[in-house]
Amino acid sequence: MNTTNHFSSTHMPDARVLPAVLKLLLLRVRITWNGFRHAKLKNKVGLVFIWLMLLAFGFFILTMSRLLLGLMRSPELGEYVGVDLQPFLASIPALTLTGLFIGTLLTSFGVLLQALYLSGDMDFLLATPVPIRAVFIAKLLQAVLPNIALISLFGLPILFGLGISSGYNVIYYPLVVIAMIVLALTAAGLSSLLVMLVVRILPPRRAAEILGFFGAIFGFICSQMGNFANSFGRGMNMSGEQATGILLRSNTAWLPLNWAGQGLVALGEGRWLSGILLEGATLGLASIAFWFALVTAERWYYSGWAGMQVVARKKTTRSPRQANANLANLASGLARLLPKPVLAIVQKDFLTLRRDLRNLSQLVSPVIIGVMYTLMMFRGGGEPPPGRGEAPDWFMETFRVVLAYGSVGMSLFVGWMLLSRLAGMGFSQEGKSYWMLKVSPVRVGHLLASKFLVAYLPTLGLGLLFLTVISIVQGLSILEFVYSFIAIIMCLAGMAGILLSFGVAGANFTWDDPRKMNGGIMGCFGQILTMLYLPISFGLFIAPLGFAQFFDYPILYGYLFGLVLGSGVAVGFAFVPLWLVRKRVERLSEG
Amino acid sequence: MPETLIETRDLVKRYGDKVAVNNVSFDVYSGEVFGFLGPNGAGKTTTIKMIVGLLQPTSGAVKVAGYDVQTQSMLAKASCGYVPDTPNLYAKLTGRELLRFVSDLYSLDRNHVARRIDELLRMFDLTAAADDTVDSYSHGMQQKTSLATALMHDPKVLVLDEPTVGLDPKSARLIKDILRQLAHRGAAVMLSTHILEIAERMCDRIGIINKGQLIAVGTMDELRMLDKTGQTSLEDIFLGLTGGAEETEIAEVLK
Repeated sequence: MNTTNHFSSTHMPDARVLPAVLKLLLLRVRITWNGFRHAKLKNKVGLVFIWLMLLAFGFFILTMSRLLLGLMRSPELGEYVGVDLQPFLASIPALTLTGLFIGTLLTSFGVLLQALYLSGDMDFLLATPVPIRAVFIAKLLQAVLPNIALISLFGLPILFGLGISSGYNVIYYPLVVIAMIVLALTAAGLSSLLVMLVVRILPPRRAAEILGFFGAIFGFICSQMGNFANSFGRGMNMSGEQATGILLRSNTAWLPLNWAGQGLVALGEGRWLSGILLEGATLGLASIAFWFALVTAERWYYSGWAGMQVVARKKTTRSPRQANANLANLASGLARLLPKPVLAIVQKDFLTLRRDLRNLSQLVSPVIIGVMYTLMMFRGGGEPPPGRGEAPDWFMETFRVVLAYGSVGMSLFVGWMLLSRLAGMGFSQEGKSYWMLKVSPVRVGHLLASKFLVAYLPTLGLGLLFLTVISIVQGLSILEFVYSFIAIIMCLAGMAGILLSFGVAGANFTWDDPRKMNGGIMGCFGQILTMLYLPISFGLFIAPLGFAQFFDYPILYGYLFGLVLGSGVAVGFAFVPLWLVRKRVERLSEG
Repeated sequence: MPETLIETRDLVKRYGDKVAVNNVSFDVYSGEVFGFLGPNGAGKTTTIKMIVGLLQPTSGAVKVAGYDVQTQSMLAKASCGYVPDTPNLYAKLTGRELLRFVSDLYSLDRNHVARRIDELLRMFDLTAAADDTVDSYSHGMQQKTSLATALMHDPKVLVLDEPTVGLDPKSARLIKDILRQLAHRGAAVMLSTHILEIAERMCDRIGIINKGQLIAVGTMDELRMLDKTGQTSLEDIFLGLTGGAEETEIAEVLK
């Protein structure tokens, strides 16, 4: 057989970029469709429901924007608030498009890092005769389209609502869509350049870990900013005129990012010359920036990716002394009490949690919230408001007791957040390495005990630390402090038992990214149940104190009853749920 | 009379309607290396996972070192070492920490553990990387670390799933020598492999599984007698029993 002829007749692959991009995107669509087709019915229904909800949400924003912006156009409102709202309305497109650009720039970094450097199909794609530019563009689009869609879900209805309420020219609407797409792609292109710069300094996996850590911390701080600002910014009052002034100053023509929005308004209002100039300048600049990003990133992509194969992971050397010291620290107190396998798993979990920044970010959040609320408590002073002196004495005294034990509530809340992660995902965090535990002669009881300790010990430490700090601030008595101390020890134990049990029921060992280890709904059930358990368990500790005050019994009786009731329930919850799932532990990871 | 260290009886594993392993029964004795062969998806890994306690059989029984894997799982697991096809080790532990962790899982005497770890690291040429985290290891190094963890407690039974995949020739030879040594010292070694040359040269007996059923077990001579065509190489016997690629089809595809 003359194979030479056969091979020489091989078709040359199509080197054109766009058909190749289209093929790669269609492949992604097919993969997504196959995923949907083979999903369980409940998942399909859930997905369809989510899409319908998103559409409804978009329609809701559109309707609200149209009504609100229409209302803001009315001269009566302007007269009433004493501010001319027209310039503010005209600045909305510029603000929205700037938000879209910055939002895409920031959110694309992580997904692009994942798609361009950490996805498993790169070996395959680069070995095929597909132009590298097509691979790059397809990856770029796959990565950023979901984020752009999500951002547009807010932006598009607002801009359309503005157009409808202002009676803008019909050309405004398609241009809004074009401007959004072009700006989002430009932002994504620039973000990809940033990704490629970073992976030249850091291994991609490490970069993803660091990004995950700081992203989670930043997101969490942002989410709590509202509470923090409410507490600390009560003295900062800003008039409507000042706020409008700031918005208008940001809509300056000196910023090219504002040109698109200003151009859209001009075209919508029929000011054709300025509109075409501004819109043309925006599209031209954005296209140049995107083209530059594309060409540069394409060049860096290949060399960066190729380099990555050589230095796939940076070596992290730990001195044996350090490892032994880690063991010694933990072992000194516990070794005599705990079986070796339990101690080994506890130590291993603490090491792996500490060394993976992506895990660490989930653990730092409770500390942040604890610190923020403690600071807020500092400012409040922890004293009941004096009121007008009409409340009876017994009520004020009971109120003071409840407030005093508010510190316990705070500590328990911080503990709940930490336990949700440590206990709820105690088994899932083993991931694909779980086989090592499963083939070892480790008893189910030992395995559960080790996971319980991994979750319970740090939470207890953190909870008690908060309790101590807050108690000092509030000036709790020794008796109140000791009682709170015991209440925290017991309540957290019960909570750990519940969350760990649900963690067993919903264990997921197939994740690659620690942020995705909580795959099922069992974790949510666990959190909901502990939210019910917490006030009941804690209430059983403090309710007898209130009763003792109310019925004028010695407070010591209240403490004794509280201890018996609260501890009994907590111990029950610490052990019974784990006993119920013990058989399930034996069969974990068997699919 | 050699001791039976792995004993499977009428082993069945079903996933819904699909039967992955169907009535598989065989023994592996002390001092022998047992090769477990079969085409892709034949049920090798499922059988191995049931032997080491990673999967519960739908029916049938498995004994390791005389202990029932289901009812005396702690004793059975303490006697067994396992090397999976993909290492999946704890990425953020160093090689040394990982071996120490495993030694504690098996409750080994700490006085001897440090020496044992050093011996294993040296044997597998991992001493220089012992204090690097596992995620910085190459696939071959992870495979060797996985074998080191399996040998940490000096098991009576060693089960390996594709142990030589991804290893350089030197490491592959090292592993083959280690397995032979273990067998000489009275351990039972069971390994699955696709490399028939390894099976032919290393294994005292061979089991062939196809579509979930054990279709042949025996020494090379016994397998030769099973094959009616009188083939002499294991490759020919294997393909004869499991159905090999048709030459005409190949020619059609490559024309």
